[in-house]
Amino acid sequence: MNLDFQFMLDDTPTILKGLPTTLALTFRSLLMALALACVFGAVINARVPVLRPVVIALNTFIKGIPQIVQLLFFYYGAPMVSRFFDGFLGYQDDPRHPPYFLAAVIALGLNFGAYMTDVVIASVSAVNRGQLEACLSVGMSRRQAWRRVVLPQVVVVSIPDMTNYLVWLLKATSVASIVGVVELLAAARISASDSYLYMEAYIVAALVYWLVCIAIEFGSRKLHNHLGIYAIDLKNR
Amino acid sequence: MQIGLDLIRQALPGILAHLPVTLLYFIVPTALTAVFGPLLCMARLSRWAVLRGAVMVVVSFLRGTPALVQIYLVLYGLPLIFGAVGVDINDWSAGVFFIAASTFNFSAFVSESLRGAYLAMDRGQIEAGLSIGYGRWQNAVHVIIPQTLRTACLNLKNLEIDLLKGTSLAYTIGAIEMMGYTDQIIGLNSGVGQLWLLGAVSVIYFVLCALLEVFFNRLFAFLGRHEKQEALRES
Repeated sequence: MNLDFQFMLDDTPTILKGLPTTLALTFRSLLMALALACVFGAVINARVPVLRPVVIALNTFIKGIPQIVQLLFFYYGAPMVSRFFDGFLGYQDDPRHPPYFLAAVIALGLNFGAYMTDVVIASVSAVNRGQLEACLSVGMSRRQAWRRVVLPQVVVVSIPDMTNYLVWLLKATSVASIVGVVELLAAARISASDSYLYMEAYIVAALVYWLVCIAIEFGSRKLHNHLGIYAIDLKNR
Repeated sequence: MQIGLDLIRQALPGILAHLPVTLLYFIVPTALTAVFGPLLCMARLSRWAVLRGAVMVVVSFLRGTPALVQIYLVLYGLPLIFGAVGVDINDWSAGVFFIAASTFNFSAFVSESLRGAYLAMDRGQIEAGLSIGYGRWQNAVHVIIPQTLRTACLNLKNLEIDLLKGTSLAYTIGAIEMMGYTDQIIGLNSGVGQLWLLGAVSVIYFVLCALLEVFFNRLFAFLGRHEKQEALRES
């Protein structure tokens, strides 16, 4: 087994050009997923009458089908939706370049929104109910209590699980290479199509993914320790 | 609407005919992981620092890179490795490569899940087992494994569901299972009714996942059948 190391070195800058797209895809899907998770979590926690069963059913269904099916769904749907919105608020439909990036963001955002809803619910219930009652007993309003006491704790509690899903989301963006988004993996595939040295290109791509994942986990641990500085059980650990 | 329903009616027998392939890509990695997962976990907890470190790096790599990349790496890398020892495996079917890649990936996740469950176990349980005269193997069979499995069960359920959904990636390297067949039909129809077909196939995946969920919840209850009294005492 002999790998062409010179090619790997030369190819690295080309592959790295796909990294910003991967990160942008990850970040935007993360924002959408977080927003969805907060809304869904609030709906489920507050027991909103009609919406609650709808949200639960939607989440269960999303979690039960493969990511690639969802991505393909939005990939095939993108041209139709784009045509539908042609001329809406100055949006111009370009039939030759359907908004595949946006489609991938929506697909991944929906998918991970469903998973992160569970994290939101679990984190909220992990914060002792006595905290809220204590706030109310000293005369804080509900809004103040949530904003100043409960939510900061919810955020700290949720960081490890959210990091898991962030890493998973980063890895899931590689599937977007199949649906017309030129991110890291697609860049690797394209860069090797000249020389047929696919193995080398994919090894470089794998190493880049690995490094980014390690960096995310490292940063999250630092953030968790920093934000959790007042949490007694964290300090004892 | 009518077009979509007609299309589903035509394509459904073919899609269901590929269900066994999907199940094969699910069951074989599960069975192999039942062997490799615990082995990796034991190696990760081993006394020898070199083995521990090596397994740690491998597991971190398998957990830190996308499954799709690993599938490609196995597809292109396995023939190179086998070629180095003079065996030509280029004519093996794509399914074999997918199963190999899937097993590597899944073993890494399962080993970490088992490790977490093992470490969460009360040390006193092991000492209690030894104190009543159990040997190492008896202790493993009667004390360690049941409790570790019980703790890891819900985690394993999520991993198994992921594995099942992950089989849909097989078609990217030409192993035709349910998803791959659906994609072929979509291609043959030049995309007519594609969203309908995807909807149909997602319902099938959803039903499979629901079955897994029910199975593992029962398993969880079964593994915890001795814990009821303890739970009552705590409450």
